[in-house]
Amino acid sequence: MLKINNIDAYYGKVQVLHNVSLEVGSNEIISLIGANGAGKSTLMKTVMGLIKPRKGSIEFQGEDITKIKNTKIVSRGIVYVPEGREVFPEMSVRDNLEMGAYCRNYSAKEMNDHLEQMYAIFPKLGERQKQLAGSLSGGEQQMLAICRGLMSDPKLIMFDEPSLGLAPVIVEEMFKVIVRINQERKIPVLLVEQNAYMALSISNRCYVMANGMIKLSGASEELLQVSDVKKTYLGG
Amino acid sequence: MGSIIVQLIISGIAMGFIYALVGIEYTLIWNASGVLNFSHDKLITLGAYIFGGTYIVGMQLGFVEGILLSIVTVAVIGIIIAKVIFIPLRNLTMIYTIMATVMLGKIIVEAIRLYWGPVPFSVPGFLVGTVKINNIVISIANIVIIIAAAICVCALQLFLYKTKPGKAMRCVAQNRNASQIMGIDVKTVMIITIIISMVICCLIGILVSPLLNISTTMSNMIGLKGFAAGVIGGFGYLPGAIVGGLVIGIVENLASMVFPAVYKDIAAFVLLVAFLLVRPKGITGKTR
Repeated sequence: MLKINNIDAYYGKVQVLHNVSLEVGSNEIISLIGANGAGKSTLMKTVMGLIKPRKGSIEFQGEDITKIKNTKIVSRGIVYVPEGREVFPEMSVRDNLEMGAYCRNYSAKEMNDHLEQMYAIFPKLGERQKQLAGSLSGGEQQMLAICRGLMSDPKLIMFDEPSLGLAPVIVEEMFKVIVRINQERKIPVLLVEQNAYMALSISNRCYVMANGMIKLSGASEELLQVSDVKKTYLGG
Repeated sequence: MGSIIVQLIISGIAMGFIYALVGIEYTLIWNASGVLNFSHDKLITLGAYIFGGTYIVGMQLGFVEGILLSIVTVAVIGIIIAKVIFIPLRNLTMIYTIMATVMLGKIIVEAIRLYWGPVPFSVPGFLVGTVKINNIVISIANIVIIIAAAICVCALQLFLYKTKPGKAMRCVAQNRNASQIMGIDVKTVMIITIIISMVICCLIGILVSPLLNISTTMSNMIGLKGFAAGVIGGFGYLPGAIVGGLVIGIVENLASMVFPAVYKDIAAFVLLVAFLLVRPKGITGKTR
């Protein structure tokens, strides 16, 4: 599905990603864990075409997307649910969702079908569809960000820290929904998380990142047992 | 006495709509690119010169053709300004873009002086005459200003809230990063915004040309008062600019009843200072 081959990426003169390779197979949940500043978000932004890698290539469904414009990458079906939710605060919940389908030209009926699907996933969004997104709670905004991502029928969805700043009960709900999206809609998921235990427990495979490099990768169940990972990311 | 007050209020509303349009025109650019366009009053002047100087006085076209051609011309100039100034400078510190827009204003003024000459002139026969209802006399220019500005404001609101490109403009204003992630082409949105802003500038220039002589300094006061309208209404918030503009227009006209008419312009700036001291958020209290 998605193949990242040996990319280097820079912010100005500072190299952030060093020779990073990563693969997401169809229908997999892949988690990417690592400390702050390890380069996880940068990697997501590079996939989205917001940062162009200086070396290496990115393939999506067999097509080289390294040099394609960011707007085209979105319409190819890669969706990024950014860290910190990034909803449009002065727009209604419904408008936010409609903007999620910006790259698709839905008819009014298709748009309504998609909205109904989203309200089925999180009924709360349906209740609040006229409310301004900025007035929602953190958990509701995260729900909105996830649904906004799903509106365009993505072929691959990337979540950046969906548990950031949320109450534990809601965190659990978010992870359940992510698993559901993966199973019901058959969408592969790339999940970036600080909550390493949660991420490992729902993903098939996991990559561990540090200082802009992939340090370790493998089946999540096995990584849970590796003493290094345990010590650094799982608190003993 | 009563009829004088009504006449003053009506011409106040007309000027208020002009200030509101000025407020809207730079608010749009501020929201889309985070840049205060300090050349906006010069762009108004440019619009008036293109309409009055070239198409009406120069080429002797009809008013309708003149207006349409002026709008097309400024739209093309808008694309150039967007590509040369606003887009390349959008990620730099604000001071660079401010300097660039200030210089753009200087360039426009000097270009006008070179191309159309330094002598002020007026557009003959454009929106002259008055209408008399009972004993209230209203000039046709004021009526046209109110109607045209109201249509312009409504059309803009419809565009921003009901159409996809309009919603994309609001998205870019609210969160540029998220807009990119949605696949919105931020550069294109900025170009569209600047074109719309330029067209509004041109309309302002055309609408005020029956009231003022066309000269390089014609829009200095309008530009400043439009800025004051934004601050008084709520900076960056479009309905705020309308409220602020109307307040200034009406207050300054009524002030001319109480104080000598030469002090009329002071009213707007006293209001501006008062609002900055007492309620810097503006009447509406919203900023975006």
